[in-house]
Amino acid sequence: MKIKQISNIVPVLLCGWCLAAPAQDSIIQITRDASKVIPISITGVGGEVESVLKFDLSVMGMEVTAPEKADYLISGVENGRLEGRLKQAGGNADIFARAYSGGSLRSQAHSFADDIARTILDTAPIFHSKIAFCREADGSTEICVADFDGNNQVEMTRDGSLVATPAWAPGGRTLFYTSWRNGATQILEHDVTSGARRVFAAFGGANFNPVVSPDGGRVAMILSKGGTPSLYVCDRSGGGLRQLSFGRDEASSPTWSPDGREICYVVRSGRATLRRISSQGGEPGEVRTGGVFGNVTSPDWSPDGKKIIFTSGSGNFTLCVVPAEGGNAESLVDGEDPCWAPNSRTVIFTRRANHNKVLSLLDVPTKHVKDITQISGSCSQPAWAR
Amino acid sequence: MKTSNLLSVSFVGAALILGATGCQHGPQWLTAVPHQSYPQPPPQAETTNNNPSRGVAIVPQQENTSTGLPFDTNHNQWTDVLASGVEDRDTLKNDAVYFDFDSATIKKSEDKKLEEVAKFLQANPNDALRVEGNCDERGTEKYNLALGERRALQVREYLHNLGVDSRQVATLTFGAAKPVDPGHNEAAWKKNRRGDMVVLIPKK
Repeated sequence: MKIKQISNIVPVLLCGWCLAAPAQDSIIQITRDASKVIPISITGVGGEVESVLKFDLSVMGMEVTAPEKADYLISGVENGRLEGRLKQAGGNADIFARAYSGGSLRSQAHSFADDIARTILDTAPIFHSKIAFCREADGSTEICVADFDGNNQVEMTRDGSLVATPAWAPGGRTLFYTSWRNGATQILEHDVTSGARRVFAAFGGANFNPVVSPDGGRVAMILSKGGTPSLYVCDRSGGGLRQLSFGRDEASSPTWSPDGREICYVVRSGRATLRRISSQGGEPGEVRTGGVFGNVTSPDWSPDGKKIIFTSGSGNFTLCVVPAEGGNAESLVDGEDPCWAPNSRTVIFTRRANHNKVLSLLDVPTKHVKDITQISGSCSQPAWAR
Repeated sequence: MKTSNLLSVSFVGAALILGATGCQHGPQWLTAVPHQSYPQPPPQAETTNNNPSRGVAIVPQQENTSTGLPFDTNHNQWTDVLASGVEDRDTLKNDAVYFDFDSATIKKSEDKKLEEVAKFLQANPNDALRVEGNCDERGTEKYNLALGERRALQVREYLHNLGVDSRQVATLTFGAAKPVDPGHNEAAWKKNRRGDMVVLIPKK
């Protein structure tokens, strides 16, 4: 009986899912303060499914509470597969009821959480996405890849030297990063499915901080072959190298606009501030970060193009966000090296705790922070595949 | 009309998604979970381009060189020793130069050391020098990579102005990854904001 009921509902939702505007969005019409944590309850599931749902939804600024205090009631049945339901408090009908099969139970729970987040918050799914980061051990660092919540960690390098600034090419199959394995800095391109690597850039002077354009066609990076660390762009093949930033003030931390037309980067002239420049070259303009007086470093442009998150300060770092065209910056939480998730809402960043570096997740509207405790050791420079 | 087109596209799309994710055996209404293929650790096989010392085959463009003292890209008498010379970290150990916080300016107090380094390089023309730029932990890592490189470049330019051939000197930034003092106070930080002088000796 129960199964039949679910089967009546799901085909409708499934085809709605493929349309630009999901049909179920019209079901909910609540005006909500976006900065408010949403109380939810989770019943009927235990073990891994419960812990996945709790973690994922907490990352989205929700908080598990008793059913009578919750705005949304989430329930599930583990029955060879996961059957999940979402209800609004006080409502009689399910907002959705759906069964998940295939993959692991963990993966099914992530899919259920993605559906809940999409339905309540209208955000793009992120719970199946990957992150890359640097892990420090015994004086060397290696690149690791994991699920966004720290599960399924794989060490991508075993060079016993230093690596830094991992960056994904779109699609999540290729990483670019800085390597010191040859006694100089080189930019490597690394196919994470085959393990094949190639040297992408190894000019005289420094070669570091590669970032791939959102269409995958070009790479921006910092090279010092001209005598100052400067911003360069070249084709994905390595050809067509072009210097974009000039002058004696060093450039760092490039990040692409989602349309690939512009690059935001840091210039240190007295203090570090943000610039925006056409990715074809031209005159850079300043991105005003009103209210921030210290160094402005490590920017990351949101995938929806609307905002830039960055690190302010020296030593005591704070994450701040500013409109992409510049303006007054909003201070968020303590931390550094932020990177947006594909939903332009969640951010992964590095938090210093007792002089150890911990990867943490921030829900920007609610400023809710969740450490990724599955990842141990001193880790930094997280990059979200998107 | 448009709507019905969209709907039929979406049904095809749904069918494709189900097909592609390996859910053929389940009832059609089941929500397919994306099938993840986890990255494998790398075998150590690698491919390098034909000219590793120069990076990928890039057509040089006319560049504004006002950004500083550029690196010579032609093969010269120091190319090999810079790439594969034997490291000597002791000889010029005491000539490491130190920097103020968030600064790459060579301080007056460091002049004497750099004069010694210049003399050494001129007296040992077969050797080369690698200047390693380092930072304290109070910058973000990406920022420190640029600052460390700037410090090393400042030393290189200073030596050049003392008459050293700039082709004899390479730079390397470590950002804040190689502190000499792991402490978290000014006493440690001032030791970590430095340029180390590493002599490179030709392999016999």
